[in-house]
Amino acid sequence: MNASKKILIIIPAYNEADNIEKVVGNLISNFPQYDYIIVNDGSTDRTKQICSERGYAVLHLPINMGIGGAVQTGYRYARDNGYDIAVQIDGDGQHDVGFLENMIRYMEEEEADCVIGSRFVKKEGFQSSGLRRIGIRFLSIMGWLLTGVRLKDITSGYRLVNRRFIRIFAEDYPADYPEPEAMVITAVHGGKIREYPVVMREREGGISSITLKKSVYYMVKVTIAMLIRRLSFGVRRQK
Amino acid sequence: MIPHTLRVTLLLAVICYFIIIFYYLKRRMLELKYTLIWLVAGVVMGIMIYFPELTVRFVHLIGMQDNMNGLYIMCLAFIMMILMTLTSIASRQQMKIRVLIQEISMLEKRIRELEVDTKEGKEFRKD
Repeated sequence: MNASKKILIIIPAYNEADNIEKVVGNLISNFPQYDYIIVNDGSTDRTKQICSERGYAVLHLPINMGIGGAVQTGYRYARDNGYDIAVQIDGDGQHDVGFLENMIRYMEEEEADCVIGSRFVKKEGFQSSGLRRIGIRFLSIMGWLLTGVRLKDITSGYRLVNRRFIRIFAEDYPADYPEPEAMVITAVHGGKIREYPVVMREREGGISSITLKKSVYYMVKVTIAMLIRRLSFGVRRQK
Repeated sequence: MIPHTLRVTLLLAVICYFIIIFYYLKRRMLELKYTLIWLVAGVVMGIMIYFPELTVRFVHLIGMQDNMNGLYIMCLAFIMMILMTLTSIASRQQMKIRVLIQEISMLEKRIRELEVDTKEGKEFRKD
């Protein structure tokens, strides 16, 4: 069933020299059935050299654009190269590609447009800190109020979308801290979103894109962004 | 009423303002598209100064007591409008830059792959 579909794994990487070899090496040797594309988001460390030396499939962004811009590049690439399913995972090895086969099967069974790998469905593996979980819960309630779709792990960066949403995201994807906003976009376009339980590892090297200092900005920005997304689509829908 | 000396000063200021804008436009340091709002602001300022009774009537219409305060408020409103336009221009440009960066990266990948292909092709022919 999966073999007939073209599947692309999008790996945004900003200064992931410590992890990228492990992540991509694992992909190449254990999951050769999937295509992958690394989006090197203007890294300042050795990410670019490593990718060139190893001959990885990589897009080098000349300027750092933030995770949203990087992931969107992956979606544009998926669209231009005719992929059926695009999967985004983090470049730091948090997300286990081993779940992917089941996630794709689940997507087909449920006829979903978007499947999100969620660490809170079964509550196994790395669960993130208490304060962050409160933030995630808040955003998930926001998403629920705005769209009527209830997700437990709304900030998860492990998600797959079908051809229709590859096209939509290639044109319109939030710039920074994109995950909750992307969920609102999916919901207002009438996409069917499902969560699939996954186990996430704690990141091994590099630094998380969200430090404690930035988390206040993160919450405010994401909340407003979600609201505006919902409102602007609400007006358009009336047509 | 607005004092006459002030009117003359303001009129001179508006004339300077126009001269500066046209100077920049002439030297192509400003894109006309983005200058239109400045020009409109200048014209409105000119009208306000030349026909102060219009200004006075307008100031009273919106419920202000003091003419000078009314003028200041109007100036502020214009500046805020212009700033908003600037922010919007900056945002639109950012969006365009984003698409450019993404397209460049994809072209760069294609060139890289083509280079490898041609190199391999040459080596193949040598053999």
